[in-house]
Amino acid sequence: MTLTEPAIADSEAPPSEDGAAAPESSDEAPEAPSVLAQPFVTSDAATVGRLFVVTSLLLGAGTSVIGVLLSLGRTEAVAPWDLFGGFNAYFRMWTLYRMSFMLLVVMPLLLGVALAVVPSQVGAGNVAFPRAALASFWSWLIGAVIIVVSVFAGGGWGAIDGVTGNESDAMALTLLGTGMVIVALLLGAVTVATTVISLRQTGMSLLDVPPFSWSMLVAAAVWLFTLPVAIANLVVIYADLRGRPAIAFGRAESPDIWLQLDWLVEQPAVYIMAVPVLGIAVEAIGATVGARSSRPEAITVIVGLFGLLAVGGWSQDYFTAPQDLRDGLVYVAFGLAAVLPLVALAGGAAELVLRGTKTPDRLLDVRMLGAGAALKLLGAAALVGALRVIEPLDLLETTATWAVFHGVVAAGLIAGVVALRNWSHELLIGPLSVVVGRGAVALLLGGGGLLVLSDLISGFLADAPDLMALSLDGSAVLNVVAFAGSILVAVGAAAAALGAVSALRTPLTAESEAG
Amino acid sequence: MFTTGFKFFFGLFAAFCAAALVYGYTTGGNHVGPLSLGWKGGVGDHIGYGVLVGLAGVSLTISLVLVSFRDADAAAQAHLQNLAEVLTDQPVTASFWPVVASFGVGAAAVGLVLHPMVFVLGLAVIVLSMVEWTMDAWADRATGDTAVNRELRNRIMAPIEIPVVGALAVGVIVLAASRILLTVSKLEAVAVAGVVSALILGGAWVYASRPGLGRRLMRILGTVGALLLLMGGVLAAVAGEREFHHPTDDTHEESGEPTGTTGHGG
Repeated sequence: MTLTEPAIADSEAPPSEDGAAAPESSDEAPEAPSVLAQPFVTSDAATVGRLFVVTSLLLGAGTSVIGVLLSLGRTEAVAPWDLFGGFNAYFRMWTLYRMSFMLLVVMPLLLGVALAVVPSQVGAGNVAFPRAALASFWSWLIGAVIIVVSVFAGGGWGAIDGVTGNESDAMALTLLGTGMVIVALLLGAVTVATTVISLRQTGMSLLDVPPFSWSMLVAAAVWLFTLPVAIANLVVIYADLRGRPAIAFGRAESPDIWLQLDWLVEQPAVYIMAVPVLGIAVEAIGATVGARSSRPEAITVIVGLFGLLAVGGWSQDYFTAPQDLRDGLVYVAFGLAAVLPLVALAGGAAELVLRGTKTPDRLLDVRMLGAGAALKLLGAAALVGALRVIEPLDLLETTATWAVFHGVVAAGLIAGVVALRNWSHELLIGPLSVVVGRGAVALLLGGGGLLVLSDLISGFLADAPDLMALSLDGSAVLNVVAFAGSILVAVGAAAAALGAVSALRTPLTAESEAG
Repeated sequence: MFTTGFKFFFGLFAAFCAAALVYGYTTGGNHVGPLSLGWKGGVGDHIGYGVLVGLAGVSLTISLVLVSFRDADAAAQAHLQNLAEVLTDQPVTASFWPVVASFGVGAAAVGLVLHPMVFVLGLAVIVLSMVEWTMDAWADRATGDTAVNRELRNRIMAPIEIPVVGALAVGVIVLAASRILLTVSKLEAVAVAGVVSALILGGAWVYASRPGLGRRLMRILGTVGALLLLMGGVLAAVAGEREFHHPTDDTHEESGEPTGTTGHGG
């Protein structure tokens, strides 16, 4: 059809009975971009999701190598500052490891799964804003590159012994890259949330939405209520770093930059990464044993409650006296209460297993093993979090903080492996190999467990607050255990990344799907 | 009238406003401080109150965006377009503008720190991609036919795009070529200009006399040539212009030798 004979629907099509014009149908499919051009122009959310998943898993493998080096620095084999060439360099890597796992690995990994899976779950052909999804991926990737390059160029989120001229430029770039990554993740989250809210099949209420889509809606809402606060922090820090002294809010010449942002990787905000894990676990278990929950609304409430307890913008203590906030009733209540939804969800998962088919091959399926491992690690993290807020135990400013972080990160990575296996069709890849899947899950569970355990016990043994675990006396054995754990996590993350990349090369055939 | 998304986020806005008021008054706010954002009276705990008001602001903004653009709300869109059935399954065409916009944001971020020109360039790219993106989004839903949509879009944008892209291309070519010619010696400049002109003329003659040559080949050759020119221009700009002797009473000659400096006269 050309413009000379056509047909703009509302002007030329015959009106219907109620006066509204019927739309014209189009049989012409848009021209498909070439394979090379696809990542740059695609409007297919599944393709964007696949880009997110593979890239974040590759970044996860890289980040976990930094974790191995940091853990090696905790052992007495070599002093951390010698390993990285200075105290500032050690601090840069220490902060990069944490920020990267959150903003460059786990959150984009789960967002990518959501972009691919959510539309089909709610009965939509595509996400609400396909081009925004593509912009989300590329903005995230460019922001990630800016962060990594600037950190290795001497930037990062603060410096222990002061900021020099060149470092100031690199730090400013790190801050801008962080802001770009956060905005990109929010853009993707808004796309997913809008798809669930507005593009559901007619007759599907929010309570009917499958658990993973619901968990992503909750996660997107929680991200929207938490991450903009981090952007506000970044603006304040940037103004301090680059602006005139007259507009200084805090201090930017010291580790204070990190102290204004560390709330993002500590509880309760650290749990924002974990909300989609609940949905993935429930769906994977249900799909494996072939059962549905008898109380789906209970799952909905549990996931919503966990999301509520993950809202963490309020928990930053830089501008107030730390004891005022972290010894306060609200902080303690959030820490303790986070265990409850996870216990309830474990009950829901157990009910699914009891109602379903319990053959050995199903119980040893990658999805079942992975979902169980993710829930166990998440439960362990929440339990440590609950212990951490109990004042007499004195765990607040100790490595117990990182026990929570490591548990959540490992659970997120395992959930990614489970999703690769469970939704390979939606992600447009071949199914993840069973051996690789089981291996990755076992390594991540073992490594994550060792990290959680060693960080918790180190926290108990610490005589004084010691977040960076630099007081090596008295916990040498635990530091070696942490080193072993970080190696396992690195190998597990690498296995997951390689599995995803090799699945990209596997042709998606009926046999491979069945396999 | 009100979209589902609007109702959801406006409800959140109302809830956060209420929470901010309660929190403000229960943490030491007085008079009408919490009601007037601290204009008349105290708001109590600044951090908590600020966070809640911020959340309310975010919710309100999202709700207004959703209701203004009827984004993804099938029923509202059908009402707006006076259609009996909304075209929810209309394919969204492939577009590279989201990627261009992302690179623009990246350039603006890097330029903010490193050089104002890069920042301005990034902003220009963002504005350009926003305009193009908006047009693509409009054209996708203009009718139910993708070919008509494409033609509609081109009818509006081509009269703008072609002159702008042409002017930019000419500008880049002139700039890059001039950098190269100003960097090499006087004699080399003549040689470079002669060889390049001969190549262009020869290429055009071959293409005109052998129309069977594939367009794909010509595209590749054109792209390679443009990239070579651009790279040469950048390298020449980095190397700097050759040394010029400005006219004096005795001499009007240029030395003709490159110096590797950017300044005039050494």
